[in-house]
Amino acid sequence: MDTLFIALFEILSFGAIVVLVVLGLGIIASMMGIFNFAQGEFVLLGAYITYLVHSAGLPVAVGMVAAPFAVGALGLVLERLVVRRFYAAPIVAMLGTYALGLIIRESVRGLIGGLYISVPEPIGGSITIATLHFATWRFVIVIITALVMAGSYALLAYTSFGLRIRASLENPSLARVSGISTGTIYSVTFAFGAALAGLAGALIVPVFSLFADLGIRFLIQGFVAVMVGGVGSFAGPVAGASVIGTLSAALPWVMAPVIADVLVFVLAIIFIRFRPQGLVSGKGI
Amino acid sequence: MFNSNLSRRRFLGNFAFTSAAIATGAGSWVIRPEWANAGAGPIKLGIATDLTGPIGYAGNADANVARMVVKEINNAGGLLGRPIELLIEDTASNESVAVGNVRKLIQRDKVDMVLGGITSSMRNAIKDVIVARGKTLYIYPQLYEGKECTPYLFCTGPTPAQQCDEFIPWLIKNGGKRFALPSANYVWPHTLNVYARKVIESNGGEVIFEEYYPLDQIDFSSTVSRIISNKVDVVFNTVIPPGVGPFFKQLYEAGFLKNGGRLSCVYYDENTLNINQANEIEGLASCLDYFKALTPEDPASAKIQAAYEKQFPGKFLFAAGSAATGTYRGLKLWEAAVKEAGKVDRDSVAAALDHAKIAEGPGGPAEMVPGKHHCKMKMYTAVAKGGNYDIVARSAGLVDPKEC
Amino acid sequence: MRQDTRVTEVPQSLPFAVPGGRRRMLPVTEVVVLVILTLAPLALQDYLTVYATRVLILCLFALSFDLVWGYAGIMSFGQSLFFGTAGYSVALIARDLDIASIFVVIPTGVLIGFVGALLLGGFLLLGRHPSSVIFVSLGTMTGAYAADRLARGWYYLGGQNGIPSIQSMTIGSYELNEGPVFYYLALAILLIVYLLCRFLVRSQFGLALAGLRENEQRIAFFGYKVQHLKAIIFALSGAVAGLAGTLYAFHEGFVWPNMLGVVMSTQVVLYVLFGGAGTLIGAVIGTVVVEAVTFWLSNSYQDIWPIILGILLLLVIMFRPAGLISLVLGERERVGNFGRSRQKGGHGAA
Repeated sequence: MDTLFIALFEILSFGAIVVLVVLGLGIIASMMGIFNFAQGEFVLLGAYITYLVHSAGLPVAVGMVAAPFAVGALGLVLERLVVRRFYAAPIVAMLGTYALGLIIRESVRGLIGGLYISVPEPIGGSITIATLHFATWRFVIVIITALVMAGSYALLAYTSFGLRIRASLENPSLARVSGISTGTIYSVTFAFGAALAGLAGALIVPVFSLFADLGIRFLIQGFVAVMVGGVGSFAGPVAGASVIGTLSAALPWVMAPVIADVLVFVLAIIFIRFRPQGLVSGKGI
Repeated sequence: MFNSNLSRRRFLGNFAFTSAAIATGAGSWVIRPEWANAGAGPIKLGIATDLTGPIGYAGNADANVARMVVKEINNAGGLLGRPIELLIEDTASNESVAVGNVRKLIQRDKVDMVLGGITSSMRNAIKDVIVARGKTLYIYPQLYEGKECTPYLFCTGPTPAQQCDEFIPWLIKNGGKRFALPSANYVWPHTLNVYARKVIESNGGEVIFEEYYPLDQIDFSSTVSRIISNKVDVVFNTVIPPGVGPFFKQLYEAGFLKNGGRLSCVYYDENTLNINQANEIEGLASCLDYFKALTPEDPASAKIQAAYEKQFPGKFLFAAGSAATGTYRGLKLWEAAVKEAGKVDRDSVAAALDHAKIAEGPGGPAEMVPGKHHCKMKMYTAVAKGGNYDIVARSAGLVDPKEC
Repeated sequence: MRQDTRVTEVPQSLPFAVPGGRRRMLPVTEVVVLVILTLAPLALQDYLTVYATRVLILCLFALSFDLVWGYAGIMSFGQSLFFGTAGYSVALIARDLDIASIFVVIPTGVLIGFVGALLLGGFLLLGRHPSSVIFVSLGTMTGAYAADRLARGWYYLGGQNGIPSIQSMTIGSYELNEGPVFYYLALAILLIVYLLCRFLVRSQFGLALAGLRENEQRIAFFGYKVQHLKAIIFALSGAVAGLAGTLYAFHEGFVWPNMLGVVMSTQVVLYVLFGGAGTLIGAVIGTVVVEAVTFWLSNSYQDIWPIILGILLLLVIMFRPAGLISLVLGERERVGNFGRSRQKGGHGAA
């Protein structure tokens, strides 16, 4: 019974991490129709900025707050300069963002010397309930993820800005005709997606340690999650990330990790083949 | 013996290298002494090690040791009156990149000896290029799983016999009988575990489970849970970076150390101590050929350690699990062999290296076992306390590697 | 995406005049490239010839991708799956059965690549609903990723290590080592495959493929079995990738999981993108240029060369998405002629 609780907690915390990474990817894919191959590198940047702040002597938590804003700002700049040329051709967008990601990744690799660096968590230790120990930091990740999701949903559902975003999502040409500046909306969306990835990177760096290839592992998972969940809505990527994250975390408990790893992706592809629109079809929230 | 045999081959070799260097740019790190073109030209020494990637913490230490030893030899007049030219290539913890870069050492630079490779997978990837296709001498400096009996390949790091025979009984006495073997999925853990299991069981211990994980796995929750629920006493860990840091952290968070468990890891040295916080690895036991804590009692070790720290202050420490001691040992043994052979060609040096000895090395003297390609050395067991090692056991003398 | 349409007015009296286009640069380019590649080993030292052989094998690999992407519009991120599977298979044959004869391993590699691609292509492409481009790219990427993880975890395949120390390929009793001989063998194979592909894409089949790439629905309405066409070209490209994988395994002397993975796949996509998709020679040029630039950069700018490479790639993608070949060939030539050439006054079949 103990094992079950621990398993559930671990699955939940790992799933939360995947959701945070994928949410940004999914929002960008839903809104602009492009797959951002550099999303994993935004996660890396978030982790790197956290490390920088920490090595400058400031508390890690400061870095974790700064990271999403910094990465979001960078995302905005990149969108303006590079990404917006790709909206008309999704395939070119994939390759262009891949090249961007390559530049970011190799720059970070050069800066950290290709090594593995550990960053301590702001709130360490574990919470003990009866005989079970839960890592405090993982708990915090779950809570922050839930807050971010709730906040994003509230933003989309209850603000006028959110209304404009939903309008652009559902019917871009009508939105433009109605006077909504889709260009600005796209920039903000991309920046938001990047910021989410930056936040994810900042939160997970104490768990995973900082290294240049940190982002690559999330890339494939992210795409599969978005396709499984369905492109075009807010709930879609969340659903997809939850499913993929849960499966990835749960399967190693019942089978060899190697098979579990592969099985998740094979199942996902088979699922998408027979239900191309994903779990949540349709646009809007 | 002064050997001024300026053969055409050597001249053409140098010429080709220079023209290639001009054609292709500066290339790898080339440390050429000022008197490089005196007499027969320099002896070329190739170092192929992981300067970047997850094993970079070890590779950089090895490259530093090579620089230190070569400088020392050159300052004393060189080897056979010739200076040593050091060429360093990065294997980048990436076997495919490594093969390409090692090819440069062999085909472009035409080195006389290659020392390097840290993980066994790296050694396996590059040994063919060096020994078989390249027909060059290869010295492998790192602790590993044994069974490497390829001709012209000499190993100067500890073998399973040296690391387990005395260590595991100590673990059983100071930890418990129930062992878990969480491992990285490649050749070193697989083969080491076979040996370790034999020693564990013949000393009355029991292996509760043995598992293999992909090298980049960082979530070990199911493993940790299994360790706790099966009341494992000793974790004989062969997970390597990048997974080992998160693994030990998760193990600590689940309360393994608090409940009296013993962590053990045979490659854990001063470099890897920094991967985790000190409290997460308190009590971790390791068995290596050298620890910095030996310096108060062994003047030779103290000299080497001091020289290294003076030339290379920084985060890459002179430590045994990072192949740094094996590199030092290997280079000194090679120096002795070349001096004995009087020549630098592969067969003569290999014949001399086969029984080479050094009186002063990190951790003590070392001698190659004739015909066996491996090296006898002293072994020490140490325990991590507060982020530093305490030596708790020493071998009686030089331990036999029992290989080939 | 801005296509570069260079339509210049050419007087009919000039030789090689094609209505509405430039002179025929494509055959000229091909011949020039062939001559350079043939003469290269004479100018390079042994060590660089070995590097160049590897580049030739990668050109073969890039050709396989150009077949599916440039000619059929299938964005396959999984070419490395066939490349690596063939490589692993022949490595296993060499290791366990001790067979390294060229007459066995090359057909094996080609067959494995073909069958593998047929299976994967069948799953991803066939069916009642045509799959979206994104799905195919994701599906192939996932296939490559899954194979990579599987190889990494399977100890029989060597796990993380891969399979090292593969013996040299043999032709009869002659051992094929790295060097000029292997180089010319690779060049000969590349030439043969190139000509076969050229023949294929200029045939009626190729015409149907071109139509498929431009407008799938219309071709379907014409009665062509679109899915079958796609599956066939996918399988053929898999065969070529398998051939490349076999040569690579024996030339490098070892196989390892990265040969199967996404990074390798994406690399070949970038080669073809750089050179220009849809012209075959563009794939070859792209590979040679990118590898040469990588080699030069990694020697001169040890620490930052991947960044420079990434920037170059980004610039090409942003400003010249049709690739380097568009500097030489006009749009008309890139789309191509089909069947026999027509006389002055008529139009090409495309």
